[in-house]
Amino acid sequence: MNKYITSIAILLTVGFCNISCIEETPSYFEFEDYSFSELDENGGLMNTFLLGDIEEIALEAPQTGRAQELDDIKLLMSSMTKDETKAVEYWTSNPIIRWNEIALELAAKYNLIPGPNEDGTYTLPNPANPQGPPAFPFAHPPYTSRALAYLSVAQFDGLVAAWHCKYKFKLNSPYQEDSGIIPAYSKNNLPSFPSDGAVVAKVSKDILSAMFPLEKDFLEGLFQEHLRSMLQAGINFKSDLDAGELIGSEISKIALQRASTDGMSKAQTPKPVSDSIKNAAFERFGWAWENMESPKRPVGLTPLFGKVKMWNVSNVEEVRPGPPPAPGSDQFNKDAEELKRFANNLTVEQRKIANWWQDGLGTYTPPGHWNKFAKEAIVKNKLNPLRSAKVFAYMNTAIVDAGISCWDAKYYYHYPRPIQTIPGFKTILGTPNFPAYTSGHSTFSAAGAVVLSYFFPEDQSMFNKYAEEAAMSRVYGGIHYRFDAEVGIEQGRNVGSYAVEKAKNDRVK
Amino acid sequence: MNKSLPIILGLIMSFFVQFKSNAQTPWDEVMMGKNEICIALIYEHSTWDKYWEGTRLRENANIGTLTRQMGMPMIALGLTSKVNIIASLPYIATKASGGTQVGQSGIQDLSVSAKVEWLQKRITGGRLLFLTNLHYSRPVGNYLSDYMPFSLGFGAPELGLRAIAGYKMDNGLVFRSSIAYLKRGQTEIERNYYYQNGSVYSQFMNVPDAFNFHAAIGYWFLENQLRLEATYQLLNCLSGDDIRAYNAPQPTNKMEVSQVGAWAQYYIKGRQGLGVLAYYNYAVGGRNMGQFSSLGLGLTYQLELTKK
Repeated sequence: MNKYITSIAILLTVGFCNISCIEETPSYFEFEDYSFSELDENGGLMNTFLLGDIEEIALEAPQTGRAQELDDIKLLMSSMTKDETKAVEYWTSNPIIRWNEIALELAAKYNLIPGPNEDGTYTLPNPANPQGPPAFPFAHPPYTSRALAYLSVAQFDGLVAAWHCKYKFKLNSPYQEDSGIIPAYSKNNLPSFPSDGAVVAKVSKDILSAMFPLEKDFLEGLFQEHLRSMLQAGINFKSDLDAGELIGSEISKIALQRASTDGMSKAQTPKPVSDSIKNAAFERFGWAWENMESPKRPVGLTPLFGKVKMWNVSNVEEVRPGPPPAPGSDQFNKDAEELKRFANNLTVEQRKIANWWQDGLGTYTPPGHWNKFAKEAIVKNKLNPLRSAKVFAYMNTAIVDAGISCWDAKYYYHYPRPIQTIPGFKTILGTPNFPAYTSGHSTFSAAGAVVLSYFFPEDQSMFNKYAEEAAMSRVYGGIHYRFDAEVGIEQGRNVGSYAVEKAKNDRVK
Repeated sequence: MNKSLPIILGLIMSFFVQFKSNAQTPWDEVMMGKNEICIALIYEHSTWDKYWEGTRLRENANIGTLTRQMGMPMIALGLTSKVNIIASLPYIATKASGGTQVGQSGIQDLSVSAKVEWLQKRITGGRLLFLTNLHYSRPVGNYLSDYMPFSLGFGAPELGLRAIAGYKMDNGLVFRSSIAYLKRGQTEIERNYYYQNGSVYSQFMNVPDAFNFHAAIGYWFLENQLRLEATYQLLNCLSGDDIRAYNAPQPTNKMEVSQVGAWAQYYIKGRQGLGVLAYYNYAVGGRNMGQFSSLGLGLTYQLELTKK
């Protein structure tokens, strides 16, 4: 009997080890506090995206009251709850990272495609009735890319203004004023007034509240927590925060003004407009994409996203790629055959690539994936908040421009997906509700890679490899032809190079 | 034995529950004698055309009817008349009648379990039995759990501990119930970000632990050659999230199912030799699951190994 007991004990031990060896499942990026690799004393001279004259933001240095504020900070720091201590650790000295992650989380939360009603019709999310159902927004890749661009541009412009004022007034931080205050983060000589963190908190709350209106309360809670954490970290006076908020609200206004008139509200067209776009393509090329879902969706995703105002390119047609090979042509047949081969003999490695880059419904989308890479490179290179915001702003404007250009091509060429052209074709990835040519993943990724390679040249080959892998992932997944991916990469690189040119022309490199 | 007894008693043991393939199994309060061996081959055909999205039962034309077929070889061995070992390895294939996504096929999880009979006591009109079953299963092959509802299983190791109580009356009636705790590990997925009530930056998903309750009323006919049972089973994950609106399920979901079923097993020439079995299960309630109805058919062959 003993040997059976031994076997049972072994079984149990093996089983327990196997089950209890648990990998972590963190909800945000945990990184060590770092001291900034540089402070960018001239950062206030950087070219902004939207803000005209920085001096228009009338900011006055606080004359009195800093001493009282110092006492308040000490009191706050001496009576911190467990949650407040955690909040100080969470927000870090580079809160650009956190607000970007919050944006990605909201994208993932709202990236749900509306399902059909009982009668087979579809109801679209409506900003006038955000509660829905379906809830507004549907944070699909175009929507998310645009939201991230506004977020990053507002953060960056706000921080340029903050840097300008910081070095104009050159006021000490609490821990420089009083050696009794031990800051929670690495010390630096960045002037404390106005608070860069408060600028970031304010613009982020405002932009994200506009993009995700149902999350206003959630964002307000984060905003308050973030403000408080800066006092309790000993890095800012209350008057620093107030001045930061003031800058932030000015920037938010400018950014949201642009957002209200950039053409996005017309991107999701009614059916007659969608049909006329399709008919125009059919007359021009002799083919047209059809939605293959059941029940059939009457309109593709944002047919007029290609008309949305771009950030770094003056005219979308300037970056429009040439036409794809016609269905039935030799080139088409060759790439269609390749898709069948992949479907029948997909290797585990290819399957992994398809899934790794899928970034589909319920996720932060491909633009979100590139924001994650940017975040990791920023922390690795110990960038200060201004530099971080700059990377995000150039990358996210390049990414949304790539998306706009891609959507222009998608609805101009209106090219059918493999499930439409290859009879009986089945895929491991869900086929999205928009035309094939060119691949969104490819354009978003190539644009992201070009900009990140400019800012982090030592990782250029890695970013390029990622972009090419992301492009091929759609071919392995059976939802794009190789020419969609290859032309998409070219297109994305081209669009991304406009952002890089702009960055190269900045007064402050 | 005596020294090890407290250790063993310390383990609440489990019974093999084929929740993943939604099958009922032939393993119950019946024990095999020493050196008896039973080989079984089971085929199961399950379908659903509605599923619970959270607690809302819905259809999805892009899936239509989901069909899941399973072929499962199983082997049971009587180490002693009180200790039996059971192993199984299902092959599963899935496909949908609607939509454009491809189904999956392959080997699912290897499961090994040890069933121990602790008590057999004569009381008025019958015998009271108490058994435990400890089981461990883990995925073999490289199926992807994060491809629901087409995936073959939840892709994580599972350690199950079950207590079984039975009352077998001399007139052939059998009452049985059992409870089990199923401890699950993590499943490795092919992405490193997903949403589960918030962002998760990991290539692993935590598969929720589950509680299982099983009850049966059975009757032995024809001098113990034919067994018929009516069964009820409840399997509830103890944590997890709901499927989001019109979104795909994922292994982190809080799955729940209650099903009723019928079971028949016929030993053609008594305990030894060939037997056949058939069963049917239907999900009457659930959450984050397909509303399965399953039909299973099986062949069993039992023999006694000669002692050397």
